[in-house]
Amino acid sequence: MGGNGKPPAAPPVEVALGSNPFVDALSGEVDPLEAWLAALDRLAVKGEDVVPLRPQLVTPSAAAATPAAQPTPIAEPRAPDVELPLPQSALARLVGEEANQKLASLLGRIDGWDRFGLSRSALAQAFPFFYALYKLYFRVQSADHAKIPSTGPIVLAANHGGLLPFDGAMAVLDVLLHTEPPRLPRAIVERWAGTLPFVNVFFARVGQVVGTHENFARLLGEGEAVLVFPEGVEGIRKPITQRYRLQHFHVGFVEHALRARAPIVPMAILGSDDQAPILFDVKPLARLLGLPTAPITPTFPWFGPLGLLPYPVRYRIVYGEPLCFHERFDSEAALDPGLVRALANQVRRAIQTLVDKNRA
Amino acid sequence: MKSVLITHADLPLGRRIAKVLWHDPKVLRILALGEGAIPRVFNSYRDGVPPRFVYERIDLARQRSVSELFRSKRMRVLGVDSVVYVPRHGAAPEGAPVVAKIPARTAEARLVLHHAQESRSIRSLIALGSAFVYKLAPSNANQLTERSELDLDPEVAPELRSWIDCDMLFNAEFASARLRVLLLRVPTVVASGGFVYLHPGLEGTAGLRVRPAGFDPLGSVISDKDVARAVRTALHTDMTGVFNVAARELLPLSVLGRWTRRPCIPVPGPLLAIASGAAAQFGGERLRGRLEGPYLRYGMSLDTRRAAEELGFTPRYRVGVARAGDGVMRVEAVAI
Repeated sequence: MGGNGKPPAAPPVEVALGSNPFVDALSGEVDPLEAWLAALDRLAVKGEDVVPLRPQLVTPSAAAATPAAQPTPIAEPRAPDVELPLPQSALARLVGEEANQKLASLLGRIDGWDRFGLSRSALAQAFPFFYALYKLYFRVQSADHAKIPSTGPIVLAANHGGLLPFDGAMAVLDVLLHTEPPRLPRAIVERWAGTLPFVNVFFARVGQVVGTHENFARLLGEGEAVLVFPEGVEGIRKPITQRYRLQHFHVGFVEHALRARAPIVPMAILGSDDQAPILFDVKPLARLLGLPTAPITPTFPWFGPLGLLPYPVRYRIVYGEPLCFHERFDSEAALDPGLVRALANQVRRAIQTLVDKNRA
Repeated sequence: MKSVLITHADLPLGRRIAKVLWHDPKVLRILALGEGAIPRVFNSYRDGVPPRFVYERIDLARQRSVSELFRSKRMRVLGVDSVVYVPRHGAAPEGAPVVAKIPARTAEARLVLHHAQESRSIRSLIALGSAFVYKLAPSNANQLTERSELDLDPEVAPELRSWIDCDMLFNAEFASARLRVLLLRVPTVVASGGFVYLHPGLEGTAGLRVRPAGFDPLGSVISDKDVARAVRTALHTDMTGVFNVAARELLPLSVLGRWTRRPCIPVPGPLLAIASGAAAQFGGERLRGRLEGPYLRYGMSLDTRRAAEELGFTPRYRVGVARAGDGVMRVEAVAI
């Protein structure tokens, strides 16, 4: 649908924030048309059904706090805004100063909503809850953070387990807390999560992204850290007899890593397979209900929905040496399915080795 | 120097575009078309002999009136060489189907395109299209490029169907050597004061809307001033094809509704499905379009790199919120 466009005559000129956009960045002259437009807007021409406004952008939270006062102009809309230090709720008090600084540093780089739905305010509100889970409930221990590249696109590939994806949340938090400057890995979630009411909004607002090829490529293209569970739903529905045995790997993440010239960092997450051991998966029932799994666990369905909650097992997260396939193969290699499958198996072996080594 | 014909210049987007082109020194004459009386803002434009700005009332969905206009002496005298096709939008009445239940918007696009091709003097046609024509996958973050798939589902709501039909009409003419066709796909257009256009769910008069509970899709927006700038940029290039244009900001549906005086009430999905089915049963197709549709569930973000790199268009207005004189927070666009 792109049509047959012709090459441009001149490169586009970016307008920096804070500069006068009516001044031509190349010649330094004021565009007479834009000046006319500005004058028109000031005149508030009759016949326009426009309610007069004070043309300052403000944050909704700031405006709500000072309804009578002049709104504080800001360069760009931020809504709803969050002021740091964060509100001292019981959960927020658990968050130490160092973690708060990490969060503040991260939030400072987010403005409103990003193109994947990440919300500054939602992240700030969710952080204390997940931090409490990280510190008190799962008591996460982690090692070898130095192996995570501090800049540039990376793919973090981990084993998957547990009925609910708390392993993803703990992995995201661990990377966030142990990188400088703090990096927020964007976890890739199953496509069906995008169809679930409330879940899809929550996932998007805290930075998780539905796993389409376009999203994956775009994230890596923007230099983000992307967290993937190449086993997919096979990982979370494996029975207790298969725990910590990695299942069949999807290979899309290798293709994108090759195209984006991104290293793949293998991660072992220990504890997730023990948080809700599946005794039996009633697959016909799952198919009937359109769910990825219909598990029988020691607590589910006997205790109702509460039985799905994870047991308070200790998590261990270990990072492996980055696998820099892009140094051995060019991006064209992503088109070779045999090679991509072989590289995915190599990642699988690396994660399995990490898991076995750290379980011993 | 261009002589430009603008359709629906009486509607808000058409007015804005006509104003921008009026102040463009590279535009010699403007023939503005509209269904209603001439907007007062154009009164001062009609001074001068011969007039640089001409306004004419016309029903663009009628074959006879469009045909007579394009063959008229007035068109020849003005020397119109470019057409800016602004689609029917806003609170404008939908209009009765003209032929075989073709919506007015589609009929207008077809007639304008046909007569522009037939005309001896017209060399380029700049069309405004909707970005809601894209097929949305279940995701809050559909990254849509110009090459993304269109929603050709036969069950799509009639409101979206007419946009898709218009889009495909223009798409079919990109290879034409006779007429340069450039299509700008724009997302939800917002204007100062809390006005919103081209959003299938929010367009029309202010008031309550509904959305499925548990979904709050993110969407691209653009200021009406940037739309007019994009049209002006497109007019003075020799490019052809489709271009996505959008501001840098993305807004969730709930926030956009609140900022534009159209708060969206979350309603459980099954209830919406029942209401939508009833609307379809009793002929309320427009209502059905507002009760269902992928844009109420799944987000979209337009990839505007092509417009920036090839067309040289980057947005200059940011969309935010400001307190109006009556103390209400409403959407506002300010220059960067």
